[in-house]
Amino acid sequence: MEGRLANSWRLTVNDKNFIKTALLSEIRIDGRKPFEYRKISIKFGREDGSSEVQLGQTRVMGMVTAQLVQPYRDRPKEGILSIFTEFSPMADPSFEPGRPGELAVELGRIVDRGLRESRAVDTESLCILAGKFVWAIRIDLHILDNGGNLVDAANIAALAALLTFRRPECSLGGEDGQEVIVHPPEIREPLPLTVHHLPIAISFGFFSNESILVIDPTHNEEAVMGGRMTTTVNANGDICAIQKSGGEGVPRRVIMQCLQLATSKAASITKQIKDAVEVFNTERALRKIKRHPTSTGDDVREKQN
Amino acid sequence: MEVDREDGRSQNQLRPLACSRNILHRAHGSASWSQDTKVLAAVYGPKAGTKKNENPEKACIEVIWKPKTGQIGKPEKEYEMILKRTLESVCILTVNPNTTTSIIVQVVNDDGALLPSAINAACMALVDAGIPMKHLAVAVCCCVAKSGYVILDPTKLEEQKMKAFAYLVFPNSVHSVLPEGSLRVEGEPIENGIITSVTHGIMSVDDYFYCLERGRAASVKLSDFLRRNLQQQSTDSSKAG
Repeated sequence: MEGRLANSWRLTVNDKNFIKTALLSEIRIDGRKPFEYRKISIKFGREDGSSEVQLGQTRVMGMVTAQLVQPYRDRPKEGILSIFTEFSPMADPSFEPGRPGELAVELGRIVDRGLRESRAVDTESLCILAGKFVWAIRIDLHILDNGGNLVDAANIAALAALLTFRRPECSLGGEDGQEVIVHPPEIREPLPLTVHHLPIAISFGFFSNESILVIDPTHNEEAVMGGRMTTTVNANGDICAIQKSGGEGVPRRVIMQCLQLATSKAASITKQIKDAVEVFNTERALRKIKRHPTSTGDDVREKQN
Repeated sequence: MEVDREDGRSQNQLRPLACSRNILHRAHGSASWSQDTKVLAAVYGPKAGTKKNENPEKACIEVIWKPKTGQIGKPEKEYEMILKRTLESVCILTVNPNTTTSIIVQVVNDDGALLPSAINAACMALVDAGIPMKHLAVAVCCCVAKSGYVILDPTKLEEQKMKAFAYLVFPNSVHSVLPEGSLRVEGEPIENGIITSVTHGIMSVDDYFYCLERGRAASVKLSDFLRRNLQQQSTDSSKAG
């Protein structure tokens, strides 16, 4: 399937010129201003640790699972956090199934750096028995629809999934206290993860004419832009990571402008994530209350969607 | 016979169905099917060229199954093959020869009857993409318990506890203007046929035929649901990549 010209999507020269000319008058093709973010909607699935984030037309699903494993030898008291990115072929006709390409690996590394090295997730609380049993948290990010700016959407999906994930409670038992008993969720309430702060990734696009800067590029703008930069900041104003790999050079004042913009956007996005998680937690608590199942007579019931 | 199921349903009661089309922007056709088990399907096609060992005089269908978490293994490959064969018998392959239509199935939540949900979602996505089809494929899951009764649409726990279960795929029921002129294959109306049947576990021949009867009755209800759903959303904009 690879190398078929008919299947790859290309932007025409007319489209590219239109986007560039419109940006000179500070107009973007979807009607936004250069420093306006698209609408974010965060939804959760039925089980803990599954989130679906929609950023404009981009759609990403995050899934968090945990397993008891042996820790790494040089870190016997810390849990393990690993991120797997799946650029599903349903997101874009040019995504191929199989091994992740460069973009998938870069996205995974940016999200990973934001979470792990800024110590957003507390890995020491994941240790059950030092040297023998720790929790390995696995985050799967599935890209479902590529509408541009996958990094930001994937980051929000990972954070939302981590905040709603619950790991089973376990205690030490056995004759010498060396056995780990994992309690099923019906017996003991599972525990949430300790997340200290939320690192939010904000991406910028640079265009060559008159060093124009836009925030949150769509996939049309991504095909036209000369360079991109992703900054991961949190609501406290700390910079967790900055990624600018290649593309055209930008002066220092532009970088400072980006960082200031990112910090202000991060605060509003953090609030949005926290509100969505609150709503999910309230619903979850309500679901735990046992209710009588409503009886219906039909064989097939349907809901409008 | 009264059967106690954990969520209070009766023997022949399906879970509430929800189906929506045209949810993704880049894919040519997309649909999501949820019955507690939630599956997302996307269609890209027809694309130029067929794969190496396929017949270039017909259209080719390619299925990619994406599990919720973990790597792709043998069960996923089996699901891909079953889906491919089912959809090949439903689509009209001679209309666009030497093309490939890719169907990507993403499992969002697995709570029993996964393959039937995937088949239903894939059919809706093909309709959304405008791929020519002879009729729809309607899939249900029937379980046989040790005492011999049959239940429809099991949850994951029920599937694991039961003696055997079968995934059955039927053509959808036809609303024809001339009932005598409707399609018949060897004297029987076409909706009595079975497209696909996958069974797990041991069941007696009588149990299997009883499953087929219950499954066929459920497929009529499912066909009505699909027809209503498709007629409601009949206005949509066309997409060309």
